[in-house]
Amino acid sequence: MADTKTFFIGQWDTFHNNGPFPTKVIYDLQLERPESMPSVIDRYNDAASEVQQLIQDCLNHNERFRAYGSGWSLSEIAHQQDRMLYTGRMNLKKTIEQDEMHTFSTLKNDDLFFFECGTTIKEVSEFLFTHGKSLKTSGASNGQTIAGGISTGIHGSAFDVGAFQDSVAGLNLIIGPGQNDNVYIERHTQPALNDDFAKKIKSRVIRNDGLFYAALVGLGSFGFIHGVVIETENLFLLKRYTFKIKPEMALKLGETLNFRDSDFKVPAELDADGKGKRPYHYKVYINPYNKAEDYVIEIIYKKDYRPDYPNPIPGIKKAVYKDLSTWIAKFAEKHSRLIPKFIGALKGQIFPALDTEVEGTLKEIFWDTTHKGPAFAFTFGIDISDTRKALDLFIKVVNQEGPIPGAMALRFVKASKATLAFTRFPMTCILEMDGILWKGNGNMISIEDIQKKLIQAFFNAGIKFTIHWGKNAAWSFPGLLDYMYGNNDDIWKDYRSALLTKQMADLFSNDFLNRVNLSDYRVNAPKNLVSSLL
Amino acid sequence: MKTLHKWKWHKLVLFIFFPMVVVAILITQGCYSVRISNVNGVPEPNPVNFEEGYYRGKAVMTIDTTVNLRLLENEVMVLETCPEGCFQTIEYRVTLGDVLLSGITFGKLRKIRVKYVCLKESNE
Repeated sequence: MADTKTFFIGQWDTFHNNGPFPTKVIYDLQLERPESMPSVIDRYNDAASEVQQLIQDCLNHNERFRAYGSGWSLSEIAHQQDRMLYTGRMNLKKTIEQDEMHTFSTLKNDDLFFFECGTTIKEVSEFLFTHGKSLKTSGASNGQTIAGGISTGIHGSAFDVGAFQDSVAGLNLIIGPGQNDNVYIERHTQPALNDDFAKKIKSRVIRNDGLFYAALVGLGSFGFIHGVVIETENLFLLKRYTFKIKPEMALKLGETLNFRDSDFKVPAELDADGKGKRPYHYKVYINPYNKAEDYVIEIIYKKDYRPDYPNPIPGIKKAVYKDLSTWIAKFAEKHSRLIPKFIGALKGQIFPALDTEVEGTLKEIFWDTTHKGPAFAFTFGIDISDTRKALDLFIKVVNQEGPIPGAMALRFVKASKATLAFTRFPMTCILEMDGILWKGNGNMISIEDIQKKLIQAFFNAGIKFTIHWGKNAAWSFPGLLDYMYGNNDDIWKDYRSALLTKQMADLFSNDFLNRVNLSDYRVNAPKNLVSSLL
Repeated sequence: MKTLHKWKWHKLVLFIFFPMVVVAILITQGCYSVRISNVNGVPEPNPVNFEEGYYRGKAVMTIDTTVNLRLLENEVMVLETCPEGCFQTIEYRVTLGDVLLSGITFGKLRKIRVKYVCLKESNE
C-alpha cells in the first residue's frame, strides 16, 4: 500500500518565497515499492485508493483538500489552508501500447505517454529521451510537475506550437472518494485511448471536448489530476542564437512574427531564396529603465536530431551569493532611485550572453534553474498587435510609480483551446517582468499597489489582456475576470459544477479561487455537459 | 595632542584592524565547498525543506564526522545508500581548521563534511 506521511506544518511557502501561508497539514504520499508491487498500473491504482482515502478523511473533518507539485507558482494558486497533498513522489510513467489506442484515434501510440501527476518536466523529458521522443514545448525551465504545469498554463515561446497544456491528450481525475469518482476525460473529436485502458485505471470515460478544455487549465480545482496522457514528437535539436538589435526591429518582429520579410537575418538560417527561416522560439529582453539601450533577443531554430552535437551544458556553473537578492531588495527599499543603476550593473546576470550559438535538445536548452531567493513575476498576455502599446504603457507605469527591481521580456505563443488558458489571443504576446521580491515603504511603492496600478492602466487604455495564473497580480481587482475572459469563466464554472458535487467543488476550492470569483457553484448546471459524446 | 591622537588612531587601523580583516578574509576563503551535480538526474524531494538556495525542496543528507586512522591506514571511504542507486548531488566542504587538523596529525585525523542528495526514484 502507498504510505502517506503527515506534517502538521503550520505554514507553507512557494518555491519562490511568496508566502508564508498558514497551512494545517502537508501530506507526503509515497508510492508502494516496486519490489512489492511490480506493475506500474497496480501501483497507480493503489495510489488512487490512497488519495481517495485522504479525500474521505477531509470530508469527515469538513476540511478542504488541494494537491500541489513543485510549488513554482508565485501566486497563491497552489495553496490551501487546510490540507495540502504534495504529489512530487507520484511519478509513475508508462508508454502507450497499440492495443490501448482508441479505434478512431488519429494519434500514434508511439507518440503518446502516460505520466502520473507529480512527474516533473525534467523527469518527463528524461523518460521521453530514452524512447527517442521529446516534449513539443516547455517553460523556461523544468522543475514544475506535469499536473501543476498544465493546471496553470505554463508556456515557453514556441509561438507556432502553443502552451504546455496543448499537448495533453487525456486527463485522469479523481473527483471524490467513491467508486464512480474516478474519471478519464478526452476530446470526443480526437480520442486517444480506448475504454480498456480506462478500465485498467478503474475510471469511467467521458469523451467531450467542452469538458476536456474546461478541465485542462483547471487551476487545481476540477478534482485531483492523477494522470495525464501527453502527445510528444520525435527528438529534435534547438539551435539558439542571441543578439542585440534595435528596439524598433525587435518589436516589429514581435508584432508580426514575420521573419521571412524582415531586415533582421541570421546568416546561417536563410532559405534558398535568401529569406529568413521561421524560428521555433523568439524572446526579447528589455531593460525598462534605459530607453536608449538596444534589446537583447533570443532566437531558436528547430533542427533534426543528430547525436554528435557539442554538450550545451557548461561543465562548471558559478552562482552569486545566495543572499545577494535579499540584500538588493533591502537596499532597493531604502534607495529605490538606484534600482535602474542596479539593473544596469547586473545586466550580465539578468540577460543572456550576447552573440552566442548553442545547440541542444529541448531538455538541455531549457535546463535546471535553482532557487535564487524571493522573487516576483508579473505576466500579462496580450494580442501581438498590442505589443508596442502595452509595452510602452507597462514601462511608463513602472517608471512613474517605481522603479521596482525587475527586468522585462516578451515571449510569443499561439492560442490555446483551453477555456481559461491565458494564452487565448490568436497569437499571444507574453509581456513579463521578473525580479526580486520587495516590501513597500514610504520610499517605495508596494508590490500590491504596483499590481493594481498596472491593471488599472491597462483597463484605462482599453488594452485587452489576461494574466498568467501562476504569477503575481492584484487578483481581487474588480471586474478582472470578466474583462480577461468574457463568458469563458461562466462556461468553466458550468462544466465544473456539472462534473463535481457541491460538496466536492467546495473541497477542491481555495482562497485564490474565491479571490478570482471562480469558486461559486452552479446548482442548475446541465448534467449533459459531462456526457460522453463518443 | 590632537595630532598624536590622530596618529594613534591611524596606527590602530594599520596594525590591528587591517591585519584582522586580512586574517578574517583568509580564514573565510580558506573554508570553501564544491558541489558535483548529475546533469540528467532529478533530486529526491523533501516538501518541507524550505531552506534558501540550491537545496530548497531537496532531501539533503549530511555527513559530519572525524575519522581516526591507524598507522598503516591511508584511505577513508564513506558508504551510503540511495534508493535509486545513485547520487544527484554531492558537496564537500573543507575548512582551514580541517586542513590544519590533518596536517598536525600527519593525516591520521580527517574531518569529513559532506552533503548529498539522492536521485529521485524513477518509478518507470
